[in-house]
Amino acid sequence: MSSLMAALAAVGPPNPRADPECCSILHGLVAAVETLCKITEYQHEARTLLMENAERVGNRGRIICITNAKSDSHVRMLEDCVQETIHEHNKLAANSDHLMQIQKCELVLIHTYAVGEDSLVSDRPKKELSPVLTSEVHSVRAGRHLATKLNILVQQHFDLASTTITNIPMKEEQHANTSANYDVELLHHKDAHVDFLKSGDTHIGGSSREGSFKETITLKWCTPRTNNIELHYCTGAYRISPVDVNSRPSSCLTNFLLNGRSVLLEQPRKSGSKVISHMLSSHGGEIFLHVLSSSRSILEDPPSISEGCGGRVTDYRITDFGEFMRENRLTPFLDPRYKIDGSLEIPLERAKDQLEKHTRYWPMIISQTTIFNMQAVVPLASVIVKESLTEEDVLNCQKTIYNLVDMERKNDPLPISTVGTRGKGPKRDEQYRIMWNELETLVRAHINNSEKHQRVLECLMACRSKPPEEEERKKRGRKREDKEDKSEKAVKDYEQEKSWQDSERLKGILERGKEELAEAEIIKDSPDSPEPPNKKPLVDMDETPPVEKSKGPVSLLSLWSNRINTANSRKHQEFAGRLNSVNNRAELYQHLKEENGMETAENGKASRQ
Amino acid sequence: MDDYDKTCLESALVGVCNIVQQEWGGAIPCQLQSTDSLDCLERLIDLNNGEGQIFTIDGPLCLKNVQSMFGKLIDLAYTPFHAILKCGHLTADVQVFPRPEPFVVDEEIDPIPKVINTDLEIVGFIDIADISSPPVLSRHLVLPIALNKEGDEVGTGITDDNEDENSANQIAGKIPNFCVLLHGSLKVEGMVAIVQLGPEWHGMLYSQADSKKKSNLMMSLFEPGPEPLPWLGKMAQLGPISDAKENPYGEDDNKSPFPLQPKNKRSYAQNVTVWIKPSGLQTDVQKILRNARKLPEKTQTFYKELNRLRKAALAFGFLDLLKGVADMLERECTLLPDTAHPDAAFQLTHAAQQLKLASTGTSEYAGYEHNITPLHTDFSGSSAERM
Repeated sequence: MSSLMAALAAVGPPNPRADPECCSILHGLVAAVETLCKITEYQHEARTLLMENAERVGNRGRIICITNAKSDSHVRMLEDCVQETIHEHNKLAANSDHLMQIQKCELVLIHTYAVGEDSLVSDRPKKELSPVLTSEVHSVRAGRHLATKLNILVQQHFDLASTTITNIPMKEEQHANTSANYDVELLHHKDAHVDFLKSGDTHIGGSSREGSFKETITLKWCTPRTNNIELHYCTGAYRISPVDVNSRPSSCLTNFLLNGRSVLLEQPRKSGSKVISHMLSSHGGEIFLHVLSSSRSILEDPPSISEGCGGRVTDYRITDFGEFMRENRLTPFLDPRYKIDGSLEIPLERAKDQLEKHTRYWPMIISQTTIFNMQAVVPLASVIVKESLTEEDVLNCQKTIYNLVDMERKNDPLPISTVGTRGKGPKRDEQYRIMWNELETLVRAHINNSEKHQRVLECLMACRSKPPEEEERKKRGRKREDKEDKSEKAVKDYEQEKSWQDSERLKGILERGKEELAEAEIIKDSPDSPEPPNKKPLVDMDETPPVEKSKGPVSLLSLWSNRINTANSRKHQEFAGRLNSVNNRAELYQHLKEENGMETAENGKASRQ
Repeated sequence: MDDYDKTCLESALVGVCNIVQQEWGGAIPCQLQSTDSLDCLERLIDLNNGEGQIFTIDGPLCLKNVQSMFGKLIDLAYTPFHAILKCGHLTADVQVFPRPEPFVVDEEIDPIPKVINTDLEIVGFIDIADISSPPVLSRHLVLPIALNKEGDEVGTGITDDNEDENSANQIAGKIPNFCVLLHGSLKVEGMVAIVQLGPEWHGMLYSQADSKKKSNLMMSLFEPGPEPLPWLGKMAQLGPISDAKENPYGEDDNKSPFPLQPKNKRSYAQNVTVWIKPSGLQTDVQKILRNARKLPEKTQTFYKELNRLRKAALAFGFLDLLKGVADMLERECTLLPDTAHPDAAFQLTHAAQQLKLASTGTSEYAGYEHNITPLHTDFSGSSAERM
């Protein structure tokens, strides 16, 4: 509005002392035709998109001319001028990239004359002057009559309709007891009335002023019951414009809406229950008329969720997913951002990317997870899903891991569900193994994000308590390890992602093994002291198969052995004796034998001669 | 049910139309089944602008042929719409009911109707207060289904009382499903999930309670296009809050980045000058005079109103008004009581003079942006602010 006013002020009224020719309306009409030939941004984009089919893009327009004509023949002259100008400019446009030919032009001539005078021009309905140009003439007195006429024309030209809001509760200072009826008339796209037109249930009222009949639909203001924000089923939302923009009732209504309150509008019905058909609501300072669907839904009586897939599960992580949703809310990024390679970054793609990262490992139910039920894991779990980590993030992850090790050492209880297990469920150390396996799964899912993520995994692998085989080997001289190895080999299906899940199954089998070794003491490691070397009972030495190189399928035991050995080898230097050993046997006190002149036999065993 | 003349198809159609409308409102598509002769039906379709189809029985009238005809009808009109709902790596097989209809975006430029993808990918979440009852093309139930190896639906979730423990339904009921998790959380948090339906086409998933307090997961389709909701802005420009410098929702969720404001303020949100009726002009002039009588206390308001009138008069080319108001101000000056503050007289004369200069329409004083500022006098030290 303000730019329009500024433009009008810049043009200014015609100078009464200047030559009448300079301020002839013809200049305006010619300028209008020129402007219609110019390509708009939308047309340019559409034509570029369609390429060979560019001619599908149309160029039609309307010229509304408000002037004072001398006579009907003067009007004829203006029409001829427009027709010629279009003809000339279409020729120019044919040879230009910046111009488009006018395919159809509607000329609306409004002859306005002073109140009290007679009109020298007669009305004429729309008439085709040429295939390209139609013209209509309106004769109307200046002042509010002109405004009324334009109001009617604007509705025709822009497919608008009128709604009158009635029953607005206005507080009148002077007459506190009267409920004066203030109606506010709004203009909006006519599609907001499409439901009315279909049902034929229109309440078309109107006022007849000088033969111009104004149609409007009346809706009643409905005092909102609660302040709760509801999600309405809305089939359309259209911007509105009050007809009388700064009358007191209008500004009361618009200010009420601009302050954030919404108003429901009721269709006045002669009989039956009330029907809420529309809602007025402001969004960011712009008021919209929402069309609410008030018809009966074909979706009545849908199937109950508890009867459908997944409906019998009772421990979904609803609260956690709620937090997940809040972390993945959207926000507008209005300034363009660029990727490292210089290409434009699309924020919505980043949003999808983040969802992909956050859901790489996301158990849906409480009983399927241990780590997500633990407060101690939160610092790690919340940062590991990020694209890149800071040094501080890595530090916090490491602290989390150390904290968990500490908890294990102190034998703190874990939130492992015993639902569905027979008996007492897994013992504490097995619970911790389950927890470590799950944590490893989570961290492994993100190791490809960055080098810092890798470091977190390394720390985890170094600190976590080891799988059962290894813990058992630390115990002194337990022959039953044999049995356990075999049962584990048979049962375990080591897939990295599902290792913790399989631990659940494993615990059942291990339970049986554990019962036999009930008296065994398990030495808990502290992360500071190095692990003792793998001591295998002599009895097993020869039976230990050599580590297989990857020729064909690798055995499970060798997989485990490799992993354990790799982890151990990082913690200490191998003993010289073991390095030099043959068949895992090392000759001790060799120097003594040499000194004493004894020969060393093949196996390094001293033999007396 | 009213009786209608069987030979007059048109009134029969109107009758059905009325019944459907009364019960269901005007927005429901309706299918008619009729057993009329072929050319009658063809004419009917022509009347309806070519919308409609005729199904005929091929071959002699027998059960098999009738079945195949209905089979064709079912395939065309009643095929369930199976899709996969995804949120990153969390997925679920779903049926969308009713089947989403194809939609024509722009008859002229792109007349081929668009259909939504079978991959429905969630891109992010928004609070219900921010989405603000958006206009939608249609809404649908999203029901989780269990598919067997062939991709056929197993168990529709409708349980019989006589079902045994191991039936497909019972088993399916006990396997955790992403739809149930999503629905539960959307309901508790009061949020919607924005879902991508195709290139530049989006919709939303939400929990909808029916009148009986039971709720379901539903999906509504926005109109295709890069910016279906002006208050959200362009959909492609929506990104994760972690990418923003600070959380736009605030520490306690007390803020929101939405709604986006339009570039230009609307007329009802501005102070517009409307002189369509004479009363409008009268009110504005009276405001100036009222403030004139309360100078110098009302200096600021006086000049504010004066400049507003000045600008409007210049835009409308109503230069005589400026002269008229200038004369009125001079008259007010002569009517000042003896007890009036001396500054009042200075300001009134100054204002009148400025208006007269503006009314000539030629000098720089007639510039639209040039505001009349209060006269700087020894009395008005404090009121020398720029207006």
